[in-house]
Amino acid sequence: MSQLPPDPAQRNTLPRTDASPTLAIQTRDVAFVYGDRRALNGLTLAVPAGGVFGLLGPNGSGKSTLISLLAAQERPPEGQLTVFGEAPKASLRRRIGTVFQENTADPLMTVFENLHLAGRLFGLERSLLNSRIPDLLATFGLSDRAHDPTATLSGGMRRRLEVARSLLHQPELLLLDEPTTGVDAGERRALWDALIASRGKRTVLLATNDLAEADTVCDQVAFIEAGRVVTAGTPDDLKRGLLRESIRITWPGAAANHLDELRAWPETGTVLVDADFVHVTVDDASAFVPRLFALAGPSIRGITIHASSLEDAYFHHVRGSSGAAMSA
Amino acid sequence: MSAAATVGALARREVRGVVRSRSQLYSSILTPLLFLVFLGNGVSEGLQPSSLQAGNFTAYLVAGTVVMTSVFSATFSSASYYRDRDSGLLRMLLSSPNSPRTILLGKSLAGMAIGVVQALVVLLAAAPFVDFEWQHGLLPGIAIAIAAVVLLNLMLTGLAQALASRVQTMQGFHLVMNLALFPLLFFSGAFFPVADLPPWLEVLARLNPLSYAVDALLLGAYASSSEGFLGLAQDFAVLAVLAIAVYALGLSRTPRLTWSGQ
Repeated sequence: MSQLPPDPAQRNTLPRTDASPTLAIQTRDVAFVYGDRRALNGLTLAVPAGGVFGLLGPNGSGKSTLISLLAAQERPPEGQLTVFGEAPKASLRRRIGTVFQENTADPLMTVFENLHLAGRLFGLERSLLNSRIPDLLATFGLSDRAHDPTATLSGGMRRRLEVARSLLHQPELLLLDEPTTGVDAGERRALWDALIASRGKRTVLLATNDLAEADTVCDQVAFIEAGRVVTAGTPDDLKRGLLRESIRITWPGAAANHLDELRAWPETGTVLVDADFVHVTVDDASAFVPRLFALAGPSIRGITIHASSLEDAYFHHVRGSSGAAMSA
Repeated sequence: MSAAATVGALARREVRGVVRSRSQLYSSILTPLLFLVFLGNGVSEGLQPSSLQAGNFTAYLVAGTVVMTSVFSATFSSASYYRDRDSGLLRMLLSSPNSPRTILLGKSLAGMAIGVVQALVVLLAAAPFVDFEWQHGLLPGIAIAIAAVVLLNLMLTGLAQALASRVQTMQGFHLVMNLALFPLLFFSGAFFPVADLPPWLEVLARLNPLSYAVDALLLGAYASSSEGFLGLAQDFAVLAVLAIAVYALGLSRTPRLTWSGQ
């Protein structure tokens, strides 16, 4: 990701790097509208070639819409969007593999037949497919289900099939739209192990709202909300400046005067209220927690303490800057 | 890979889907045959129509049943568009490097081929039980029937594809298809001759594209002379023009992945 100016007002303004060979994806002021809803609202982003780039944001923030535009399934009515320096078009899809948010396999066909059909649609010869498909099935742990109808696969297996399909034509750019939704922890690990093994061979754009997953696998991330990039950088960059520890307090009906007092303490960093929870960042939880209980012990139901994560960075950058309604 | 290879891969997938959907496969053949047996024999024996050759309504009904089979087949084939959209497969197809036209061509050509095979199976299955005239000879008669069935299915597949790209739900699509095609079936000569109808109904029959398919099938297999029929030249001229035009219309519609309420 190219360096974005720190001023939020200027974050969506990129330096001119048109047709830069190091950028896999570049968008500038892209807008897209569904009916009356503005899904993308001046989205500006630069994704360098190689590595895993995370696109992080809540449901409805515009991640899937951007994936559709990059896969040339829709055209942006406003703004510029390029993939490998070209506007997305059908022929460019040969260089792109896409895992959509929903499953796309034909339930009446077997696992092998689904991959074979996809391979033929991407111009692969039968002989090549007959050698490549078994390799992919082995990589994604589906060899013993090759001749079963996809309707009989578990949710996790279907997602692995989707990823295998997207890699069949060995794309240079892989677009992953929440690829691990509904996948259990073990299968998630297997899926990412397989994907990470191919790291360096291609650029991966991962759209997800799983911040922990993104923290683990992404080299760089962008936080997106309401169709705009709020900020971007490496996970370490985004976490820099946060206090060391994050405390999640289960505190239903936290009183406003208590929250005001808590904010006024010098050791307190960010304070965000989200339903029955209050998220606080501090440098030393061991000093903060006794003071908190002295302030409002009877109304506190529980406390979780962990090292500051990408999720905290997300709350800090996104909710802290634009989520006033979420904050007390 | 050429577009032809893509079309072939998609066509094989469509055919495989129909073959594996056993209930659809069997019912698409058995329903018209049962219709033929019960309605044909019921009318022949119960009402003894004197205007038909030897009062054999079953033989007369074969042409109409073949057309009806094609109507059902085109409807079911195009309904696969909705299954593919809802299962997500359509999104995958449209994310391939092929144009939407190529995707539609593969799917619809397979649908047409399935319709032709089903219609010809009905025609062949009925042959032992009815006395066809084959006034032009057996092989030319069969060629006429095949040509009429191919053009009919091309037209119906194009129509169904055009509707499927515009109607949001499968239920709505079936309703629109039934609403459009059932009246056409009734005034096509499929179930009763249109030659002796009141003039206004005869005009409707002349404007009805299905009339020309029924006429060609009757002339090819059932009729002992061309008297009282529209004629093969007119039948095939109308069918060919309509089949090409309507199929081209069906291919011109880009399939929708999502709906925004318009």
